[in-house]
Amino acid sequence: MDLLSSLRISSSALGANQKRIGAINSNIANAQTTRTAEGGPYRRKEVVFGSEPVRETFGEILEGELDAQAQAVHATEVISTDRPPILKYEPNHPDANADGYVAYPDINVMEEMANMIQTTRSYEANINAMNATKRMAKKALEIGR
Amino acid sequence: MRVADKTLNALATSLNFRQMRQELISSNVANAETPGYKAKRLSFEEALARALDVDGELSMKVNDAGHYDVGGGGFSNLQPTIEEEVNGIVSEDGNNVDRDRELALMAENEILYDTTVQLLNKKLALMKYAIQSER
Repeated sequence: MDLLSSLRISSSALGANQKRIGAINSNIANAQTTRTAEGGPYRRKEVVFGSEPVRETFGEILEGELDAQAQAVHATEVISTDRPPILKYEPNHPDANADGYVAYPDINVMEEMANMIQTTRSYEANINAMNATKRMAKKALEIGR
Repeated sequence: MRVADKTLNALATSLNFRQMRQELISSNVANAETPGYKAKRLSFEEALARALDVDGELSMKVNDAGHYDVGGGGFSNLQPTIEEEVNGIVSEDGNNVDRDRELALMAENEILYDTTVQLLNKKLALMKYAIQSER
């Protein structure tokens, strides 16, 4: 446990939050996408976070239980939510089915924007934590001056 | 004046534990949106006070040179405790981290860390002064 692993924890969270922003961007960009490589309309993506102990070097692995308590975060998986698509009657659309309905993804852009703001705040909180750690490390260098 | 005295020991130990606390709070902030994660708290103040034993009331009274003082346990085997936060609102994914509270605790920890560093510097300056005063 030291200040450097605090920095690693915070930076892991920055990475995880960037992945989440990426998924949100993709959701907003594809809010009207009716055709994808997997077939059917675009499906909304969501990033799930998981925690893991910060252990990178051999010495850290050797260290005791205390170390397992502070945990880094990483994006464990990207899930495609299975919300049913919204059917709109557009008989002239190339992706319309036999009855003339087109399946649009059920994406609420307002909801995505709210998630984006929340993720941005989370990112900023981790930047703040990182800066605090950095200041502490610099302060320690002043001992004995 | 002994060079490795209680003050230096206590300040160094306290710096160490504040770094640990910083790491735990970083972990709490980082995992603010991890399903099932519970905020963790490090407590060391009591253990440190026991080791310091300013009043001398916690150490064992000895009346024979052959008796060992097992009292406060000293600084070498000082163990902080880590507990999961039991208070706070648990959201529907089982997470109870309050990000604002964590950042406030982090600010507090940082200020006390800086204070400890300053105290350590004063103490070292005092020793330096004592060493040089004969000249």
